[in-house]
Amino acid sequence: MIEVSNVSKQVVTSEGTLDILDGINLSVEAGETLAIIGSSGSGKSTLLGILAGLDLPTSGTVCIDGQDITAMDEEGRAGVRAGHVGFVFQSFHLLPGLTALENVALPLELQGIDDALQTAKHYLERVGLGQRVSHYPRQLSGGEQQRVALARAFACRPTLLFADEPTGNLDTGTGKKINDLLFELNKEEGTTLILVTHEKTLAARCKRTLELQAGRQLAEPTGITA
Amino acid sequence: MLALKMLLRSWRGRQLGLIFSSLVLAVAVVTSVALLAERVELALVKESSSFLAADLVVSSSVAIESGWLERAAEEGVRTARTASFASMTYFGDEMHLASLKAVESSYPLRGALKRSSVPFAIDDADIESVGSGPQPGELWVDSRLLPLLNVELGDAIDVGDGSFKVTQILIEEPDSGSSFSAFGARILMNWQDLPASGVIQPGSRVSYRLLIAANEGQADNFDTYVDWLKQQLDVHDRIITPDEAQASIASTMDKGRRFLLLAGSIGVVLAGIALALASHHFANGQLLQVALFKGWGISANAVRRLYIQQIILLGIAGSAVGLLVGWGFHQLLITTVREWLPIALPAAGLKPWITGFATGILCLIGFTLPALWHLPTQSPLAVLRRDIQSKSLNSLVRGSLGVLTVAVLLFWYSRNLYLSMAILFGFAITAAASIAVGLVLLRLGKTYGHWMGSIWRLALSNLWRRKKPSLIQMVGFSGAIALLMIMVVVRTSLIDEWRWQLADDAPNHFLVNVAAYELDGVKSLVNERELETAGWYSMVRGRITHLNNQLPSQVAKDGHESLRRELNLSWTSDLPEGNMIVKGQWWQANTAPASGLAPVSLEDELAGELGLSLGDTVRFSVGGLSFDAEVTSTRSLNWESMTPNFYFLFPEGYLEDYPRTHMTSLYIPGEEKLLVNDLLRKYPTVQVIELDKIIDRIRTIVSQVTRGLEMMTLMILGCGILVMFAAVSLSMSERLQESAILRTLGSSRGLILGVQWVEFTTLGMMAGLLAALGAEFAVAMLQRFMFSLPFSWHSWLWIAGPLGGGLLVGLLGVVYSRKAVTQPPLQVLNSL
Ligand SMILES: Nc1ncnc2c1ncn2[C@@H]1O[C@H](COP(=O)(O)OP(=O)(O)OP(=O)(O)O)[C@@H](O)[C@H]1O
Ligand SMILES: [Mg+2]
Repeated sequence: MIEVSNVSKQVVTSEGTLDILDGINLSVEAGETLAIIGSSGSGKSTLLGILAGLDLPTSGTVCIDGQDITAMDEEGRAGVRAGHVGFVFQSFHLLPGLTALENVALPLELQGIDDALQTAKHYLERVGLGQRVSHYPRQLSGGEQQRVALARAFACRPTLLFADEPTGNLDTGTGKKINDLLFELNKEEGTTLILVTHEKTLAARCKRTLELQAGRQLAEPTGITA
Repeated sequence: MLALKMLLRSWRGRQLGLIFSSLVLAVAVVTSVALLAERVELALVKESSSFLAADLVVSSSVAIESGWLERAAEEGVRTARTASFASMTYFGDEMHLASLKAVESSYPLRGALKRSSVPFAIDDADIESVGSGPQPGELWVDSRLLPLLNVELGDAIDVGDGSFKVTQILIEEPDSGSSFSAFGARILMNWQDLPASGVIQPGSRVSYRLLIAANEGQADNFDTYVDWLKQQLDVHDRIITPDEAQASIASTMDKGRRFLLLAGSIGVVLAGIALALASHHFANGQLLQVALFKGWGISANAVRRLYIQQIILLGIAGSAVGLLVGWGFHQLLITTVREWLPIALPAAGLKPWITGFATGILCLIGFTLPALWHLPTQSPLAVLRRDIQSKSLNSLVRGSLGVLTVAVLLFWYSRNLYLSMAILFGFAITAAASIAVGLVLLRLGKTYGHWMGSIWRLALSNLWRRKKPSLIQMVGFSGAIALLMIMVVVRTSLIDEWRWQLADDAPNHFLVNVAAYELDGVKSLVNERELETAGWYSMVRGRITHLNNQLPSQVAKDGHESLRRELNLSWTSDLPEGNMIVKGQWWQANTAPASGLAPVSLEDELAGELGLSLGDTVRFSVGGLSFDAEVTSTRSLNWESMTPNFYFLFPEGYLEDYPRTHMTSLYIPGEEKLLVNDLLRKYPTVQVIELDKIIDRIRTIVSQVTRGLEMMTLMILGCGILVMFAAVSLSMSERLQESAILRTLGSSRGLILGVQWVEFTTLGMMAGLLAALGAEFAVAMLQRFMFSLPFSWHSWLWIAGPLGGGLLVGLLGVVYSRKAVTQPPLQVLNSL
């Protein structure tokens, strides 16, 4: 499903060139689960963005479903993402002017789905926020906001879900529930999960793990390759 | 519809408030002004027709040809003939040289006659408006004829060979105007009585008029007839249009209308700036949403479509509300100026509505669309990293688009090149200066700010750090201040100019033709009533006998009254107020033409009509003696002033030996009006010119137009404040965030508000200074080309600009950011 070869990312700053990622190789099959781990600043979020086609590597290629997205233009990549890629961002990115329900429904509405609000409500209930649908993000706690972001990602029933520390702000109990939800989605719908996490337990539930250290892959992803 | 949903959510989130209100205001300003202008225009056409008592008048020194009447009847054009002449009237032993006017029964074609059965009626209850004049055998007379002839209503007086019954007091004729040629009391008689009275004999000096007016809905026939008529005209005949009939009122109205246009245009530009700023702000708020959309794989085209749909919806809603508000405001304006709007105002056509609606759409295209243009190209990467800059449309392109839109709007709307250019240049100068000078000033501020206290250091370096939004804000502030200045300056100078007309004791009567032996008597009569004259002038009555040593041809004589009539010649050493030299030179002390002739200064238009230019000679005959004079200058007169205007002026030392008469002007209050009768009874040869009615009328018009202008000014001030709000809110969330963080670090209220105060005051002061520059320029252009006022510096602008700007913007900024110190920092951060 995703084929990454020799991906490097450099940025030019006032203090010279900075290597954020260096020679990443990776392949993820449909329906697999992958955890990306590593210390803060090791390049996890950057890699996730590149995998999703939101960002471009300085060198190397990323293929999704056999298409080299690094060779495409912005519109082409958008076309690849459309409808089957979901994200949960590290900083949530909920729209402040919309209620929780509307935030979740928005991507569905964009796809022209009729019962967008119904579906959105359903997923909000599944993340345990059935009572907070009409609240605005600023009225929600960090963890609640994160769950809204998760519901928004789930609601699209993506075939490929990227999540940047999806349970980072949650207590163990809630975190577990969310994790269960993630893996349910993976089981029921065959969603490919690519997660960035600091949590050992979550990483352990994934089939494979990729560890980054200062932008370098520590070892070949562990686990069973299909 | 998704676009509608998004729009409603943005509305709920208060992101659209400024855009929407700017749009509504732009449309409302244009609609109200357009509605008002059109309706008042329509009404004025009617109104000025009533000043003529017709739509058009042919005035002639010979009787109107019957063929003209027949042709008019064929075309279905209404006509009325009048004949004005002076004639002796008798009752018992008394007699009086009265000014008579014989009118056909169809007179007046427009407007109404006012009559009363109470002499000297002032009370409206005693006065009746009627649509036709006296019946055959009847006379309607000026009040003062009663004491003059010692008659009462119902008595019969003799005019020529006939005897007529005085049935009504004539209070006002629609076409009386400021009849400078009226000698005695006015009398209205029926046309049919003319032959019987025998007052018109061959050789009598009679002024004939043919009044014509269109029948309802037959304007085409009327135009055809007028075209035909114009070809029939002879040298005796002259066409008088409604505009000529009321020059002084027309000019007041015209300036009022121009101001309305100016204010309207300024309002549109202000609303446009507010719209541009608000759109810029709105676009910034949409960046995250669009980045998310792009992340979800929505194509740029789909995003574009979504936003264009939103703009269209917004445009329709905003314009619709704007039309409504505009209608309401125009109603309000009309109520204010109701009294001088004579008749029920004609309903406006569709045009003002279309104009208003189109303005809304055009504003969105010119100001909002460019601000949102880059949204579809927003990179999805922005959701991952904050340092991604969106590739917004080049600000130069955006600026030019905005300026272009302003130009199109201004011109389309005012149809006046000078006005458009003045405002456009004024604004462009202000904006360009704001960017260039602003950058330098901000830089200087940052560099030298560290000599000052910590608040100043922080504030000035903040401004520099945020230089892009700071500059945008400065353009907004200075543009708004400049436009408001332009409006206030023009308004003030217009009102100043009108002020004399508003003065309660402006002269409203002229006493002319006072003989030297009568002077003391007249003076004492005036003094008895404790009235004050504006000083006495001397004049000599004479005729022109030769032009350049030749007798004027009969054609020329027929064509020009001044060759047939006695003229008033006067002398003065100083150029009278309101006169301006057009050609030649005003006399200096002791200089005479080389020819040794008397120098004479002519009114410029009259000189043209008589075919005279500098150096030509004119022979005058005064009291049987003749002398030649050389034209040494021509002058333009100020017809708006109620001061005496002389066509022929000489230096001192040429006319003093001829028999002279005296004239003066004075204010006679309504309750002393009988003075005129005493005066006329005692000195029947004295000519009294009554301007009180006309002046009252002008005074009402001016005071109401002024009130209208004040309201318009208020509305435009509203637009200006909106711009200020838009500009202040531009950087507010960032500022609030920073302030909240400073607050969490324990900064004092004084520091936080102090920094905001210094930042905004600095911005405001710079903006005010630059605004003064642009305003001074635009005002100079407007005064020169639009209002024909002399150029003058407005030094107060340069002081009030920076002070007012600093104070206003500073206050606005502090009020806006007070939240940062009154609310707990977390609440502030959460609300952003
Ligand atoms: N545009 C950029 N310019 C400069 N440095 C950058 C840029 N983008 C990322 N970096 C740097 O690259 C490194 C990796 O960033 P990234 O966000 O991928 O880290 P991360 O592994 O997700 O860390 P965390 O666990 O804290 O989220 C960081 O040191 C970051 O400062
Ligand atoms: Mg990260």
